[in-house]
Amino acid sequence: MKHASFRAAATTALLLAVLGALIFFLLPKYWVFLVTAVFIVGIALQSLGLVTGRTGMISLCQMSFAGVGAWVTGYLNLIGAPGGLAVWMLIGGLAAVPVGIAIGLPALRLRGINLAIVTLGFAAAFDTVLATITFPGQTTFTQVVRPEAFDSDKGYFLFVLLTYGVIAVVLEFVSRSRLGAAWLAVRHSERAAAANGISIPRAKLSAFAISAFISGISGGLLAGYLGTLVSENFSMMQSLALFAVATMAGAHFALGAIAGGMMIVLFPELLRRLNLPQDVGNVFFALGAVQALSTGETIAETWMRLARKLRPTRAVEAATAAGSLPDKTSHPAGIALEVRDLTVRYGTVTALDKVNLKVPAGTVVGLVGPNGAGKSTLVDAIAGFLYRYDGSILLNGSPLEAISATSRSKLGIRRTWQTTRIAPELRVGEYIRLAAGPISESELESLLAWFGCPGPETLISTVDVGTRRLLDVAGAVASRAPVILLDEPAAGVSYDEALKLGERIAAIPETFGSAVLLIEHDMDLVRRACSAITVFDFGRVIAAGAPAAVLDMPVVQKAYMGVEFEEAAE
Amino acid sequence: MTTFSIGALQVDRSGIPVIRGVDLEARGGEISVLLGSNGAGKTTFLESLSGIIPVRSGFINLDGVELAKLRPGARAKAGLSHVEQGRTVFPAMTTEENLKVALHPDADLKEAYDLFPELLQRRNVEAGMLSGGEQQMVVIARSIVNRPRVILIDEMSSGLAPVIVSRLMRAVRQLADDGMAVVLVEQFAALALAIGNRAYVLRRGQIVYDGDCAALAGDPAHLHRLYLGDAAA
Amino acid sequence: MDSLFTAAVAGLSAGGAYAILGVCAIFTYRLVAVVNFTGAAIGAAGTFAMVALFELGMPLLPAVLFGVAAGALAGLAIGLVMTTWFTGSNASTKAAVTAALLVGIIAVGLRLTGGQHPHYFPEIIPGSAFRLAGVEVTWAAVTTLVLSVAFTLLTEQFLARTRTGLQLRALSQRPMAAELIGIRVRLLALGVWAVTGGVTAFALMIIAPLRSPDFASLSLLVVPALAAALIGAFSSFRAALIGGVMIGLIEGGVSAIGPVSQYRGAVPFLVILAVLLWSQRGARWDEAR
Repeated sequence: MKHASFRAAATTALLLAVLGALIFFLLPKYWVFLVTAVFIVGIALQSLGLVTGRTGMISLCQMSFAGVGAWVTGYLNLIGAPGGLAVWMLIGGLAAVPVGIAIGLPALRLRGINLAIVTLGFAAAFDTVLATITFPGQTTFTQVVRPEAFDSDKGYFLFVLLTYGVIAVVLEFVSRSRLGAAWLAVRHSERAAAANGISIPRAKLSAFAISAFISGISGGLLAGYLGTLVSENFSMMQSLALFAVATMAGAHFALGAIAGGMMIVLFPELLRRLNLPQDVGNVFFALGAVQALSTGETIAETWMRLARKLRPTRAVEAATAAGSLPDKTSHPAGIALEVRDLTVRYGTVTALDKVNLKVPAGTVVGLVGPNGAGKSTLVDAIAGFLYRYDGSILLNGSPLEAISATSRSKLGIRRTWQTTRIAPELRVGEYIRLAAGPISESELESLLAWFGCPGPETLISTVDVGTRRLLDVAGAVASRAPVILLDEPAAGVSYDEALKLGERIAAIPETFGSAVLLIEHDMDLVRRACSAITVFDFGRVIAAGAPAAVLDMPVVQKAYMGVEFEEAAE
Repeated sequence: MTTFSIGALQVDRSGIPVIRGVDLEARGGEISVLLGSNGAGKTTFLESLSGIIPVRSGFINLDGVELAKLRPGARAKAGLSHVEQGRTVFPAMTTEENLKVALHPDADLKEAYDLFPELLQRRNVEAGMLSGGEQQMVVIARSIVNRPRVILIDEMSSGLAPVIVSRLMRAVRQLADDGMAVVLVEQFAALALAIGNRAYVLRRGQIVYDGDCAALAGDPAHLHRLYLGDAAA
Repeated sequence: MDSLFTAAVAGLSAGGAYAILGVCAIFTYRLVAVVNFTGAAIGAAGTFAMVALFELGMPLLPAVLFGVAAGALAGLAIGLVMTTWFTGSNASTKAAVTAALLVGIIAVGLRLTGGQHPHYFPEIIPGSAFRLAGVEVTWAAVTTLVLSVAFTLLTEQFLARTRTGLQLRALSQRPMAAELIGIRVRLLALGVWAVTGGVTAFALMIIAPLRSPDFASLSLLVVPALAAALIGAFSSFRAALIGGVMIGLIEGGVSAIGPVSQYRGAVPFLVILAVLLWSQRGARWDEAR
């Protein structure tokens, strides 16, 4: 894994170096000047890609963050602060961070649309403020001084390229880290991310903070590039255009950020040479963004897909066990999970009515019952996704009330969902690390092999849904939590695969040490996997005990089929 | 006589194959009961018939008209009606408004109130405020005044008291006797088999039983195996 | 104090326009489930169509009517995009689409209208209506206020009493169930887009002479419009009506307070922030995911 990060970062650095050398030595001065802007815009696009493309929060005020960075840079230039542009733009970036966090704070509770409205409002407000206070030195035409070593236009290109390279390489590392995986997970499903122990506020705020920082730096670079700035450089229209281009090009990919930068800078140049009006570019960006949104695929993703097609196709590699699995984790003996008199009401409907349930350590307990019996509500309550319930839930004897879903997950209650919620952009290994936290390379490999999953470098988007269901379970198991809740892990899996999965689940306690609560409709799977089952109907426990005996009880058959089969049981 | 036939139907749900080659035929005047445990694919099956989710392959034919490629609205106009599970009333509209909005030009609200006289005194109550049984009646009545030839009914009994369920079952039988083709999806087998003509059992997306309702009702051990699995499997 | 009052009253006509735009935003959201960032831009298109016809010598009334029709057509065009490709998309994606489209519409609009090139905006409703405590209240302010109230009430009555209104309510409450009973959802949706386009165009025509009347500035009135819609929680027409007028009054008031007068453009943002932080204080999880 670390290997892969280094390799990706090195590839990025090398590609940029070659590209930079070609531009520096082959292109005429005018073009080098233009291409410099490509990279500055590319940095702004990367910042937007991080918060919108990667974390899924629509930001329509990215150029306002850049404006903060540029303003601070201009001010430091005006007062002749020590350190020169490199230091000023870093301070400018840092100055944008609190602004980013302040805008991100409402995002803790809001998603998508509301956040889009907040950021658009901020962009409009920032326009007003900037038009009033003007840039430092704007009225006196004071030029922002470039670093001495990079003063010429060609030199400044190198400075920008260097900055771009550092940011791209760092982002490469971050995006492959657990934090980067957490951003993707938050974008895909906040609940699933919380169920893996990710703090949603931290993930969102860090995305906004880092994004604002990078955007602020791009503003500082722009100040050095243009010398003097006007508020129009950072207007709401610029932010909107940046959003359209990021959406079209896929700015959360290094490739997409550069492609987008080229479009923003070079497209108007092309139009100018064709004697066409330059603002036609924005129309093109808008249509491109709509196209990308309707197909769900950005330009960067299209290119990468085509590139993959060109390469000889490799079959999905199954994981091979590097060594044997480590010993099972020892958890306290006794009752791992206990539910006492749990009652949940939605308005006037009682979803769960004084439910009692025990899952002893080292066992698999099944939970069955017809549709709407309250099984998923129970899992939500145990995992901390309901704000209010009566009764108590105990993990190894200690109550969990008033503990958030994220904290419960960290304490040792892991759950899966009825439909798989793994972010498809992740790799298998990244997902398992996201779910499990620190885990050794050999343990990861042998865990995947034990479940018959593909290797850690496989992209989730390339594996079928049945395998993703398996990865859901593997992720929960990898965390070594004392209690694992599996919500219909075999939904959508063929009959044979379901039986195989049943055997795997049955072996979880002795292999990994976790106790399992299994919700499942396939009775053959339940019979195979569980040592005891509890049957729900209308939110109440109607039977509990050994699987074969319970499934033959008339009351259970009545719940399932609406009729009693006394004669059939004989 | 209405003939509604489905052949070799395959349906995926978010990439998972859920219906794996199903054949089914429903005729006017008959109730075709589709049974199966949770997760067997019953709801997905009905949703693919009415066009809520697309089919991957296979045909859906109503009296010679191919429906599989049509939008849900066009399928409704062709004579197909779907009573979704979960009692999908328009909650902020009154009972009568719920019926009016679906009223076919040739139909009359009286037909709905004849089928369910209980609704008459609740006509000006917002549908969201009705009891579960009444909401189920509203949804079925709303379907009827739309003048369909085929009606698909999904899990109408879930969460309702037995006395209400048998009341609804009687109404459904009456619809079939009036000439409609009914496809009744149920988890609770006994009552459905008692009023149905032909029975199908769905398991993991495939039909594992296709025969007479009476025959299946008379062989509870078989039904038990189809539903709760088999220790020997 | 007096000058503050004068200024606040001066904000009335803007407030009325915000209210109409806010009600239109809710209308679009409730009935076709789109938070529409292009709302004001659609109206701006209609407004500039009116101005162009007027400049070509057409009398005011037919020019206004054609302008409203142009707004309706622009709305219809956006509606076609949304209903053709994004019917099944989630709310976030739809919002992103309209945000992206806004960029393109403004670019086209600026090109066709000559950018910052000044146009003559006829005052559709000129003159002063009456004096209130010594402050002049213009006919434009009275009209936008009356219009916003009338539009709100008419919308409510239309939804409550007509067959089309009934179908629209069914569509907004359960789109799939509505489609399953054969309601022509796409036609209705396009109708909603056209009507909001026309109404927005008329509202903007009235207040355009009071604004820096270039295409971009008018299009960006979407910010106070969405702020008003948020006050109505994207569901209550009346709350949005009051909210829109309030924003106009506050803006007017702020512009009279010397040291902060330059920052009145930030008022909608502060309103948005306050409303959201208050209304979302209990929410925790992303809906149904």
